[in-house]
Amino acid sequence: MTMEENVIELKNVEKTFRDFWLRPLAHAVRGLDLEVRRGDVFGLIGPNGSGKSTTIKMILGLIRPTKGTVRLFGLDPRAKAARARLGYLPELSHLHPFLTAEETVMYYAGLSGMKRKEAKVRAAELLAELNLTHAAKRTVGGFSKGMARRVAIAAALVASPELLILDEPTSGLDPIGTREVKELVEKLASGGMTVLLTSHQLFDVQDICSRVAVVSEGRQVGGGSVAEIVANAKDKRHALEEYFEERLNIRKDAQ
Amino acid sequence: MRRFLAIARTAAIETMSQPLSAILFPVSVLAVHILPSLQYHRFGVPGRLARETGLSSLFVFGLLFAVPAAVRSIGRELESGTAAAVLALGVSRSLYFMARLSGVLAVFALFFAGVLSATLLSSFSCVKASTIFVENGVVRVWGPAFAVGVSGAILAFAASAFLNRFASRRFCMWTCILAVAFQIPGLALIEGVSSLVSALPAFTSLAAACLVYIMMAGALAVRLKANGVAVLVAAAAVAGFLMPVGFLVPDMRVFWLEEGSRAVLMPLVAGVALAALWSIVGCVLLERKELE
Repeated sequence: MTMEENVIELKNVEKTFRDFWLRPLAHAVRGLDLEVRRGDVFGLIGPNGSGKSTTIKMILGLIRPTKGTVRLFGLDPRAKAARARLGYLPELSHLHPFLTAEETVMYYAGLSGMKRKEAKVRAAELLAELNLTHAAKRTVGGFSKGMARRVAIAAALVASPELLILDEPTSGLDPIGTREVKELVEKLASGGMTVLLTSHQLFDVQDICSRVAVVSEGRQVGGGSVAEIVANAKDKRHALEEYFEERLNIRKDAQ
Repeated sequence: MRRFLAIARTAAIETMSQPLSAILFPVSVLAVHILPSLQYHRFGVPGRLARETGLSSLFVFGLLFAVPAAVRSIGRELESGTAAAVLALGVSRSLYFMARLSGVLAVFALFFAGVLSATLLSSFSCVKASTIFVENGVVRVWGPAFAVGVSGAILAFAASAFLNRFASRRFCMWTCILAVAFQIPGLALIEGVSSLVSALPAFTSLAAACLVYIMMAGALAVRLKANGVAVLVAAAAVAGFLMPVGFLVPDMRVFWLEEGSRAVLMPLVAGVALAALWSIVGCVLLERKELE
């Protein structure tokens, strides 16, 4: 496996948060190894507080690991060249409430270096794809949580990134919205985009991901190809759920 | 540059879209026109009360909307994850900090223009009235200038309501813009430029002091919650009035009490230097911050 094929690579990564006096406050990530290959739809799953969001923020260069190395497209995650190739949907989509949906997407297009005319066309395309054309001129402050989430997804996709990082993409969406997002991720993956997502909806992760990693208390406790996990499961429909519970139980037993 | 402008523009729209801004812009302009019309309070010099009201409005009302806007513009963005979404795209943290605060400063500059225009018109109105009505000593303002200034501020509400209803424009933002824009035609009534020149030094140096407090609020918001920033900025303002602090805080006795005849250059340079220092502090704090 060459560095070029690994879009994301974490080696023995640790992250310890410290208080004002530099005393250790929490060990969020402990010795995590992770590889996301080009074209993967990779699911990072784990219970609350398992270190998923911290891992994503280290990949994005927003926080530095205490130990170990993180590479994004083979580069330091803080390198502009690496981050110019990704789109990111945060766990909480707090959009600017006074901007319209169209202005929000155009704002992110502007940040990606797109010209105004080009940004307008791209915003219209994405809003249509996410069924938001009717709300394009409305300020997002008045949107439902699901609509705001879809605007945030459009903003993450505006620069047609090579890598899309989605932190809880279906959080707050109704079943129809969830299905639309799943279809969108599948469509993007079939076009060659690499996707890294976190979610508590294991049913959705099983449907759309090609590989998963299970993390608990900052450590990887399982993972592999979703197809293999499903093939080895008794209940095919709930295969990932079964696997997830089994790996967490193993971890508890080991403790 | 495109990134800087996109971030600054969004911060400016956000600042002007706050209901507080939509109230403070026209109210400040109205205060400058109405207060000097009150009788028996003109400090013995025609136009003096207008100038003092203008300076007070710039300082009190200006900081009342600009400091919370600076805190919101940096602190709330960091807390909510909106900043993370922008910084994840490879936008430099220093650029982000400076662009967000530039948006707030652009709105403060608009406020400055509005209050200064209103003060010039109001001062002229007082001086003109004192020359016309010197004999009976009752009338304190000149009718045409007073009418243009006051109606401009009131019309701002009506015109922005119209724009909101029929063109879906942002009500609060347009109220701010029009409250300033409608003061401009009144300047045509002013005869001579002497009154203009005498008011400028005090306004310019006080604006420089406000610039320091806005940058200070933005820098502190990287690390502290809104309440903590508010307490520290208020304490700094009080300290500025009480003692010659001058290092991280403007000496407000120099900034505020600047007379028209005194040199404006030193307070202006000191203000810009202090603001630059706070902007560097803010950039360094943000560069070192872990966005948990």
